[in-house]
Amino acid sequence: MQNCPAIVGVGRTKFGEHYGKEPEKLIEEAWLAASNECNIERKDLEACYMSDCFLPITNKLGLEEGFLSELTELHVPMEVTRSFSAALLTACHAIQAGVYNTVLVGGIEKMTDRWDKIRDDLMLLEDPWSYYAGGTPESNHELMLRAYIKKYQITGENLDKLNIALAHVAVKNHANATKNKYAQYQKKITVDQVIKARKSAHKPLGLFDFAPISDGASALILTSDAAAKKLKCIPIHVLGCTSATDYLNYPAREDLSRFVAAEIAAKNASLMAKTSLLDIPVIEVNDESTMMELVSLEDLGFYPRGTAWKSIYESSKSNKNSYEMNGKQLFVNTDGGLKADGNPLGATGGAQVFEIYRQLRGDAGERQISFGAGTPKSGCVLEFEGFGTKAYVTILGEKKD
Amino acid sequence: MSSEPIERRVSYLGDRLKASRCQSCGKEYFEVRDYCSNCGRKSYGKMESIDLFFDKGKLELCTYINEPTNKFMKLSSFIYGIISFHGGKIRVPGRLTDQLICDGKDIDFSSFEGREVVPRFRRRYSVGKNEVVPTISLAFTLADEYYPHQEYVVSSSNKEYELPGIVGYGAYTSRFRIKEEAIERAVPFIDEDSVTAAVEAGKLALIHSGVSNTLVGKVYCGSESNPYAVKPIASKVAQVLELGEKDGDVQAVDAVDTEFACKAGTSMFKDACSLVSYPRSGVKFAMVIGADNSQAAPRGCPGGELDQFVGYGGAAYIFGKQDVIAEVEAWYSCTSDTPDFWRRDGEPFPMHGGRFTGDPAYFKHVRKAATKIMERQNLKPSDVTFFVPHQPNPTFPVRIARELGFKDEQFLPSLQINKIGNTYSGCSPVGLAAVLDVAQPDQRILVASYGSGAGSDAYLLRTTSQILDKRKRQKVNVKFQTENRFVEYVDYTTYRRLKLGM
Repeated sequence: MQNCPAIVGVGRTKFGEHYGKEPEKLIEEAWLAASNECNIERKDLEACYMSDCFLPITNKLGLEEGFLSELTELHVPMEVTRSFSAALLTACHAIQAGVYNTVLVGGIEKMTDRWDKIRDDLMLLEDPWSYYAGGTPESNHELMLRAYIKKYQITGENLDKLNIALAHVAVKNHANATKNKYAQYQKKITVDQVIKARKSAHKPLGLFDFAPISDGASALILTSDAAAKKLKCIPIHVLGCTSATDYLNYPAREDLSRFVAAEIAAKNASLMAKTSLLDIPVIEVNDESTMMELVSLEDLGFYPRGTAWKSIYESSKSNKNSYEMNGKQLFVNTDGGLKADGNPLGATGGAQVFEIYRQLRGDAGERQISFGAGTPKSGCVLEFEGFGTKAYVTILGEKKD
Repeated sequence: MSSEPIERRVSYLGDRLKASRCQSCGKEYFEVRDYCSNCGRKSYGKMESIDLFFDKGKLELCTYINEPTNKFMKLSSFIYGIISFHGGKIRVPGRLTDQLICDGKDIDFSSFEGREVVPRFRRRYSVGKNEVVPTISLAFTLADEYYPHQEYVVSSSNKEYELPGIVGYGAYTSRFRIKEEAIERAVPFIDEDSVTAAVEAGKLALIHSGVSNTLVGKVYCGSESNPYAVKPIASKVAQVLELGEKDGDVQAVDAVDTEFACKAGTSMFKDACSLVSYPRSGVKFAMVIGADNSQAAPRGCPGGELDQFVGYGGAAYIFGKQDVIAEVEAWYSCTSDTPDFWRRDGEPFPMHGGRFTGDPAYFKHVRKAATKIMERQNLKPSDVTFFVPHQPNPTFPVRIARELGFKDEQFLPSLQINKIGNTYSGCSPVGLAAVLDVAQPDQRILVASYGSGAGSDAYLLRTTSQILDKRKRQKVNVKFQTENRFVEYVDYTTYRRLKLGM
């Protein structure tokens, strides 16, 4: 990538319910943490890109840029997007174009403030016709699972294994989250618990298969390569960063057993980064449900279609926190993923980037994965808006000179 | 608050399931499209509009929802999935309706997947009491159960009759029943009301008549359980059934609601006949619907006695002069201001005058109308093959029929009160439908409806030979619905909950 943008500092809040805090307080906390890390003063910022999926709906906040300006006393250009990855993508374009050298990218969501109607709003936003027909935020995930089972004719013993594999996704993510102080859930769960929750609800996926509703904020400082060099810190570069789009109405899509947008975005990001995703050992996927993690592994090309569950099932046997892929280990959602870390929509992508940044810098603490002798050299983030309507793939790593 | 423009647009597409097809490449889309995304600009203006209202689909995939979003809370739990039409060219989301899912049972999704389904016009979800009632046809029922798929085939007319008469009819009642002793009564599903029943009846009448919906120039809807105090049912019926010529996004049809307790529907039979006979009206066919989700206070409350007999359903009749199955030979109506049954504005349930509902009310008016019409036509009860008395409860119609000198075989075929209950405005019309379902050509039918308040309309009909031909078009007749093995029985608590609606 030309004029390669660099991440020099990241910050986030704990995800979960922040009953007493205004949205402003959360973003302040995240941005202070990020700027402390790289010693950036707010006057150094030339622009801000912020994301929130639906603060105007949950908190009746329009013109979010305004409160960010008040908070930072900045009068620089500011733009709002719906997801953190979208904000990061726009910021990258600006840095690449040489317009700015130092920008703030932030994300925020305050979903628990509208606990009473959040599922209606989520679904209406995500897929209106499905909402009008009675769909819930969970139902599309379950239908995708049904489509997957039908398409690959998974029956009998294999169906049981698929169900265990999906349960293991949640088990692994909860286990990872116990090592993440920012995570919404800090307790381990078992495959039995996940399956029991499905059985008691008579549904294909149950309580433990879905990411929660969360509040939270995340932020990072993005600079040009030249500006990063002056900061005396180890930057992590954005090697590839792209997005793709699909229909709003899930039933109308061509293939119901995958996310085409994710597949396209992954291919383009990979071309941009001049790297194969298969060489990446640590990834963050958008596991709004355990099914989404499974499908994403295939969409990103790690496993052939209809097979990812086999590898997950193998890891479940020894309760491993990584999947095997062609003899190599693949670490997925080391921070607990959306499932256990939390999913405050606008801030979620920031937490994903936060995790990859930590892993690549070797400062992920207890969660640190090793790659050969050292730390991993590259990582990848997949984030969605809606139910696969937009997919963003970001590849992070060391710049190859 | 819901938005009126959004509500209107969603209803416009969703009530009828409007779709588009590209005439160049054949690609189909749910919703109206001006051009095909495959063919691009060159397809502009070459899109043909289709709709799925009379079509059948296939339930491709499904799951179970037991924690619905807020607006679907009253459905509590349901099967939800993806329905395909035209071999998968169009896929839409949809819920299965008319299913009471018992909690505690495992659901085998594959037992639903792959089955054919019929789109049904229903309430979409719950809204506040002061808001527009949202509707949609993204609710489906299994075609191999209570309500099979029937094609709507428009046929060109063969014969013009001298007298106007019934050209086609449809009677509709729901899948659910409450059974108490010898009486079974129809219970609406929670997403049904008098509006959805009116549309269903109208849909069945179009199928039976073979009349083009575009030729129906007027629709009358009689009901006493309209969910609105102000806003017609008839406008919804006209829009959903696309009655009259389409002109932009309006229908060239006159639509009006009528009210006179239980005779709101039958009263308009003569108006429909007159309209189609008037040479300058330009109206070839007129539709009259009587439908009700019959209201009654819970037992033990004032007016709660009605709760023994109220049902759900209605019937629609298309009148015209072409391909008539029963000519209207005569009519007679009488009225007096007798307040035997009423519901004040804003009150949820009607009240009645106890024993006065019988003698000075029902019997007096029905007796007068039936006697008078026979007298004028110079007929004795034995000259009439079938007598259809209004049937508010199981005893009144039997008593008046016998008093007038009719034999059991003349009036018993019309009695549906023990099977679907008193459907108020739909009551006599459903009784007539049951008789038309079995009548032979060249038979006389005498109908005497009753409406509290009070009045009675008597009609003398004479069946034609076409009654037999058209009978083949309608599978979902009264008997099919009352003796259907997929009927589901509910207890009193569930009955009250379903009746209250969403």
